[in-house]
Formats: sequence, C-alpha cells, structure tokens
Amino acid sequence: MSNTLEIVRPEVLSEVGQSTLRGLLRVWFDFERRLAKVPIIHRLDVGSFDADDYRRLLLNLRPQVVEGARWITRCASSFDRDYTDVRSVVIGHAKDEHRDYEMLEADYVAAGGSLELIRAQPRNLGSEILHCFLMYRASQPNPVDLLGAMWIIEGLGNKMANDWATRIEELTGYDRNCTRFLRYHADNDGSHMDKLYGLLDRLCANASAADAIVNTARVVGRLYAMQLEEIDNA
Amino acid sequence: MSAYITSTGAFLPGEPVSNEDMEGILGFVEGRASRLKAKILKANGIVSRHYAIDKNHKTIHSNADMGVAAAKQCLERSPLAASRIGMLSCATTQGDLIAPGFGSMVQAGLGLSEIELHTTHGICSSGAMALRAAANNVRLGEHASALVVASELVSRSFKSTRYEAAGGYASIDFKTEFLRWMLSDGAGAMLLESKPRGQCFQIDWIRSFSHADAFPVCMGIGISTDVQDHRTWQDFPTYAEAEAAGALLIRQDVRLLEHMVKLGVDGALRLIAEGLLNVKKLSYFLCHYSSHHFRSKIFDLLDMAGARIDEEKWYTNLYTRGNTGCASIFVMLDEFRQSRRLKAGETVLCMVPESGRFNNAYMHLTVADA
Repeated sequence: MSNTLEIVRPEVLSEVGQSTLRGLLRVWFDFERRLAKVPIIHRLDVGSFDADDYRRLLLNLRPQVVEGARWITRCASSFDRDYTDVRSVVIGHAKDEHRDYEMLEADYVAAGGSLELIRAQPRNLGSEILHCFLMYRASQPNPVDLLGAMWIIEGLGNKMANDWATRIEELTGYDRNCTRFLRYHADNDGSHMDKLYGLLDRLCANASAADAIVNTARVVGRLYAMQLEEIDNA
Repeated sequence: MSAYITSTGAFLPGEPVSNEDMEGILGFVEGRASRLKAKILKANGIVSRHYAIDKNHKTIHSNADMGVAAAKQCLERSPLAASRIGMLSCATTQGDLIAPGFGSMVQAGLGLSEIELHTTHGICSSGAMALRAAANNVRLGEHASALVVASELVSRSFKSTRYEAAGGYASIDFKTEFLRWMLSDGAGAMLLESKPRGQCFQIDWIRSFSHADAFPVCMGIGISTDVQDHRTWQDFPTYAEAEAAGALLIRQDVRLLEHMVKLGVDGALRLIAEGLLNVKKLSYFLCHYSSHHFRSKIFDLLDMAGARIDEEKWYTNLYTRGNTGCASIFVMLDEFRQSRRLKAGETVLCMVPESGRFNNAYMHLTVADA
C-alpha cells in the first residue's frame, strides 16, 4: 500500500539517502564552478554582461524550456503503477512548468527582441544533446535517475532567481518586467525542497539507484553548461 | 611518521580595541565618520581586536616583531631548545619588506641559526600552507622539529591617509571599506615535532582545495578602482600614481562572498566522501566563520545529508581577537588549548577559508597524551 502514499519530507533520510544528497550537493557545486567558467556567465560575474547578452541568453534558453515540459511529461508516463506516488509529483511538476516558455518569450519581447525570431530559434548544440539525453532517459521504464536531472534544473531555476536576475537588471538596465522568467522559480522554494527530500527518501532504495541519480545529475549539469557555452558560438 | 603540534603561542599587540575606538585609531577619512562601519560590524559580529599601530599611525610593532613574539611564547612553553629546531616556516599576507621573504626577517628576530627556511605567500590560507609544508617535512623525517609562524599587520593598509590618497571620502564604497572593519593585527606560532610531548595534537591530515580557475578575485590588493583599467600596481609609472588610482587599497568583492560558504561545504563533503572526515565523531570545529553565516537552506541541506557539525562543537575567538587573516587559526588553536582541558582521542577540525581567490584549507587533529 505504500505506493499510494504521498511524497512528504521524511524526519531523517536513510544512510543511502544521506550519501546521495551529499553526492548531489557535490555535483551541484562542481556544476556551479563549471558555470562560472562559461563565457557568458563569467561576464555576469565580472560585470561586462550587457543587454545583447541577456537577449542571447533568453534566445538560447527557449528551445530547451519548450522541450523541458515534454521530457517531464514523458517521464511521468514512464512510471508504472508501483510508482504512482512519484508519478503524481512529476505530473504536478509538469503541469506547473509546461507553459513557462510563454513567460520567457514575453521577457524577450519586453527586452526589445522579436517574437518571430525567438520562436524560430533552433536548439543550439548543447540544447540538442541535453534534449536527446533527457528524452531518452524519460522513455526508460521507471526513470528514477531523473531525480538527478530535476536536482540540477530546479537548482538552476533557483540560482537564476536569486543570483542572476538582480545582477542582470543592474548590468543591463532592464526592469523586472524583463526578468519574470528568471525570477519565477524563487517561489515555493521550501515546499520544493521538502518534495526533493521526500523523493530522495522514496527513490534511494539501494546503492545502484543512488549512483544512477547522482550520475544523471552530473551528465545533465555538464550538458546544461554546454548549452550555455554554445551561446557564444551560435 | 607523524607530526605533532607540541606547543603554541600567540601575540596580539596592545590593548583590545572596541568598536567605538577603532576609527579613532585607523583615522577618520577627511575628518568624517564612516557611513558603513556600523552595518559591516553588525554583520561580522566582531566586538574587539588589536592594532599594531597607534592613533598617530606610528607602527608600534613590526609584522616580523609580532611573529617573533608569538614564536618566543610558543618556545617558552616547550622544553625543546630553540637551537634544535630544524625548520622555520612562515606566513603573512604582506611582510614589512616587499623582499626578502617574511621568514628571513622572523629568523633574524629569533636568532635561529642554520635552519631550513620557508615562506608562503597568499592571504588567510598561507598560514595553513606554511603549516602543511612544515608538517610534511617532519613526517618525512627531514626534521625532528619545525617552528611555524603566521603574522599579519594589516592595519597599516587601513589608515585614513590611504583612502585620502586614493580619492578620499567620496570614493569609498562598500568593497573598499568592508575589510577595514573586519581585519586586524596579530600573530601565532606552532611547534611541530615528530614525537608527542605532553598533551599535544597529532596532525592527522591537512588538505586544501583552491578554486582560482573558476572565479574572479574576491579579495585583493593591486588593482585600480576603475574596473576598466587592467593595470596592476607595478604597471603605473610611479607608486604614487598607483596609490592615487586606488591600486593599493585592499578590497573585497562582497557579491562573490557567497561562494565561500558553498566551497567550504564542498571541501568538507569531499573529505567525507574520501573517508577522512566523520562529522559525527568530531569533537570540535575551529573556524573563523560562525554558524550564522550558513543560511538556513544550506544548513537544512547539510542536516538532511548527515553532514552538519552540531553547533556546540563550533569554537571561535573571532569576536574578541578579531580576524587576523593567516594568523587566525594559530591564535584560535592557542586560545582553544589554553582555555580547556582536552581528552586524549578527541578530534578537532580546523578550517581556514580564504576568499582571495577561493582557497579553503582543512586540518584534522587528534588530541594525544605522551
């Protein structure tokens, strides 16, 4: 009957859950350092990031945000009845985010970009590989490891809201009407973390599941960084 | 072979200086009181510190003098004859002279003959680097003993005249003022030996992780106020021009400071993963950061990950002795061991975070009784 229970924050995580969380934290810190070396993010750090950079950032993020909704929905459908509780969380997540790209498009237009241009923007090399990897994984039966992908992508949403949005406004002169997509993920942070702890507790049943989660986080982080690197090559 | 810390010493110049009295010593820039002092002090929590300069900006103790005084106290507390010391390893952010190395000046002050000399360069972590070099020498059996000295005389950089020469009151921003209310002077010393002596600390390991490849300079001296001007201080025609351009002001890019906590946590997680650190078994944690710098979210994460160090294990004397840069962990370990009875087998994790360009050092000690 446990599979019909809801995912809630546990009092404490199991040993495997704890070591998985430590592994995910290390992957996240490594990802942040990798991001700091990506040229467009480095410009944000040193203060030479400008309005063109911001528009290019949105232009290159959109294809993946559009596809993001698809891999999460695919992920939900790949969980069988033994994972009904997990599927509920993933469906909720997909519903929350599947039209995020509309906000991103509106920000791009508010920042002086053309709607036709952003809608016609193809995936860059990094987005292409990231999309392929996520869709492939999401198509596997019970893709438990995608918790690692959610860890990176949720973490990044948080970083965009807390670290990037204000900095971008300072450097470009754009106001909050142009950074709504970036800021959107600052909301509901506490409940998102509780969900994460709940999923870790639910899904880290053994060492191989734990390893798969951490490994997928590592791959998604690397591919996401590549997507941002490609902004300067596109 | 092992290395043991068998004695420690510290030197903090003059009387403790309260928050109210600091600006009277460092000086009012163009005669005006700082706008940011109260805010910065509230954030760092320091209530007293020591300065080696007086209110007339006369240097009372040189940096080398302070290092020598700390070393002498350390040696006085040990029966080991100074003449038997094989190596002197010294650290400072900026010695009294630009060259030769700081260690040469400390050696001369101590009158130690024919020792192997080592000087490390850097900021806070230079003390840990000096310690590691000495510990490794002892472990290798190259020397039976080594003296390690870390000293900082940073107040000379905070004199009001420095800011007046670099554009005056109007040109001071948060970045240039932050460290003025954070850092202060002092020195510490440790004696390392290859055999335990009395109650001492066995050095289990010293590790450090530097992240200069990933982030820009967070704390430094030598770059001008104008971010578009990429000249460093020696590239100016005269030093006077470098100073006028603000290239001799000590700055902290506060925006980048949040990386410190993350990188500090990352290093600890790495040491846990390597099996070197077990936070549950740890007895004490010494760090010149306090637990309140860890925002609730990362605290919660560490708690859930089984990697949080309980608050009752944290020890710091930052608030009363000030932040003395590379000397901090020396001054802290000295007061820590003087102020309590330790039991053999207890373990101590010392952490030295350096924001300069992000270098964090960790040292694990076990209390031993010989």
